[in-house]
Amino acid sequence: MSSLAATAPLTHTLALVGHPNVGKSVLFHRLTGTYVNVSNYPGTTVEVARAVPRHDRSASLLDTPGVLALPARSDDERATMRALLNEDMRTLIQVGDAKNMRRTLNLTALLAELGVPMVMALNMTDEAKARGVSVDVAALGEVLGVPVVPTVATGGEGIARLTEAFAQAAVPAPLLRYDASLEQEIEHIAALLAEHAPHPRLAARGLAILLIGRDPEVDAWLAAQSGGAPVREAVAQLTAAVGRDTAPARLARERNAGAETLARTVTRHADAGDRSLALLAGRVAVHRLWGWPMVLGVLYAVYLFVGYFGADVLVGLLEEDFFGEVLNPAVTALVEQSVPIPWLSDLLVGEYGLWTMGMTYALALILPIVTTFFLAFGILEDSGYFARLSVIANRMFAAIGLNGRAVLPMVLGLGCVTMATLTTRILHTRRERLITTYLMALAIPCSAQLGVVLGLLGGISFGATVIWTAAIVCVLLFTGWLASKVISGKRIPLVTELPPMRMPVLGNVLKKTGGRLKWYLVEVIPLFLLGTLIMFVLDRVGALPWIISAGEPLVTGWLGLPAEASAAFVMGFLRRDFGATGLFVLQDQLDMVQAVVGMVTLTLFVPCVASLMMIIKEQGLRIAATMLAMIVPTAFLVGGVLNFVLRLFF
Amino acid sequence: MTPPTPPPGPRIRLTGTPMGRMVRIAEFGDEIDPLQREQLHAYGLSGSHPVRVLQQQPMTVVLSEHVELALEHAVARHVWVEPA
Repeated sequence: MSSLAATAPLTHTLALVGHPNVGKSVLFHRLTGTYVNVSNYPGTTVEVARAVPRHDRSASLLDTPGVLALPARSDDERATMRALLNEDMRTLIQVGDAKNMRRTLNLTALLAELGVPMVMALNMTDEAKARGVSVDVAALGEVLGVPVVPTVATGGEGIARLTEAFAQAAVPAPLLRYDASLEQEIEHIAALLAEHAPHPRLAARGLAILLIGRDPEVDAWLAAQSGGAPVREAVAQLTAAVGRDTAPARLARERNAGAETLARTVTRHADAGDRSLALLAGRVAVHRLWGWPMVLGVLYAVYLFVGYFGADVLVGLLEEDFFGEVLNPAVTALVEQSVPIPWLSDLLVGEYGLWTMGMTYALALILPIVTTFFLAFGILEDSGYFARLSVIANRMFAAIGLNGRAVLPMVLGLGCVTMATLTTRILHTRRERLITTYLMALAIPCSAQLGVVLGLLGGISFGATVIWTAAIVCVLLFTGWLASKVISGKRIPLVTELPPMRMPVLGNVLKKTGGRLKWYLVEVIPLFLLGTLIMFVLDRVGALPWIISAGEPLVTGWLGLPAEASAAFVMGFLRRDFGATGLFVLQDQLDMVQAVVGMVTLTLFVPCVASLMMIIKEQGLRIAATMLAMIVPTAFLVGGVLNFVLRLFF
Repeated sequence: MTPPTPPPGPRIRLTGTPMGRMVRIAEFGDEIDPLQREQLHAYGLSGSHPVRVLQQQPMTVVLSEHVELALEHAVARHVWVEPA
């Protein structure tokens, strides 16, 4: 699988297109065997993914980010539009939601104008049936003039028929005629396009509709064409009007009406009396009174599973019993016998040994913690709970100039801040993306670090975990509030779809956990080994004692930690979880206040190298450097103030 | 001959609609940003289709054709509805 660059080379391409959260990525997996992250909330796919489909090894199949509507407005919609413009698009596979035909057909009305052969996969027919919705698939196929195949992608139903239908893909019949004046405008622009800047694949009429609808990607494509200037001029004259009844608004309204009419004709509704447990859970999750107890209940369950079972029971078994008693003594004895050079032996199994420190930290301490975290996270992701969390948290996020949508990247950041930084693209404005990225870089611990925190503080007391959580939330809110005052722009009120709560599919949760663990091992182990090597070299050349001594006023004086904790901060420059692990192994030397202060400071410490690279990619070098320059002093300032405050009480 | 257009019924704000009530969207107020209005259309909120109000706190949640939509009060208070 690969991500699609803005101008990918033309290849024979099929593309899955559809609304957010309708099952495109599951279908992509079914059709290609390539796994992309699949979740039950809108916005999981933010970049176009590509793989070779099983039915035609000479083609490539694209999984595009969900589009709420076209013309494109958000970053993910723009990514989809770029794919449509830049690829040699032979077949569009519109993935529709069988329980909401009106919305599905609204998008069809636009895709049909692009002149690309199409097939419709009418997905989630099981959910539609459960709600008493049935679609006359034959009649719909007749009207559209394309194959329509009912599917249940999660269960693999209809996939074979869908693959067969690709051979019958046809250019759809237009769903509607716009009113006479709009038609005149469309025809005018389409004629100019056909004359001055014809697209090799997409119909001029469809592009004209998108241009009149002010699609920025089509406009950018047109600007890059040598004959584009007269067309752009004509479009500018047409779309100069402002107010509520603009050409884009009229186009959208008429498409909506056309889709509504067809949806009524092909859909039947019966009262299914849907009162399932999932429905009840969905209502409770956004209830004004019961929503918050549910949040706390979910957090406590995650704490028990990750903080107790993962970080205490599993780490105890693996680190103390297996690595401590069996494996490490055996490896140490073997190395000491077979490696006659003392410094080399020390490099492998000494205090800062690649095996005794690097591999032991990665495999015995962190791996059980991230495994349990990824399992819990996958279950919550697939249940559809995270989208509902955005409703409950919306008011809190309003205080920091964001809306509840920002919950999704932040919660994803608890898995991996690097990937979550990419997910900020689901946010609608640059201001929202900037504030959210900064808050994640500052105060959202990744799964590995969170696990170590829960492991250390949970072992001391539940109260210590509560203090750490309260401190991080306060920093998050205060910094967010401050950022919202400093960064100009207005807040966008939240309007969001709430996907149905579903029972997580075990296979999908395990597959996701496996994929994430693979990523973890590939990314983290080399960095842990590199970090250990740096620590070894610093120790050998005598720099580590100097750093510990130089950092004493800050670490011992200001933060009130033992001098050895300086090493944890040196390790934290590479990865925060590596630093946190360095503090974890000092747990016998720490009292409650020191553990909390150390972990709060390390949580707020510099983001890992991979996160930093992603921030540079998404926000640019200057902003990334500014963030870094603010984060390090903030971490030590908060740690020191917390030390002072906690010492008043403990 | 086309039938005469019925006179408009009483319109209230979506935020003022009791839970469980079926309503039709009458109009989006000018206070709603054009992009957000497009978004609401794209979610399927349009004049001719009834929606059921599921809850009003902490956000207004409506059921539109088996899809639940949550609207912040800053938006929902400018959505005018009439009885379905």
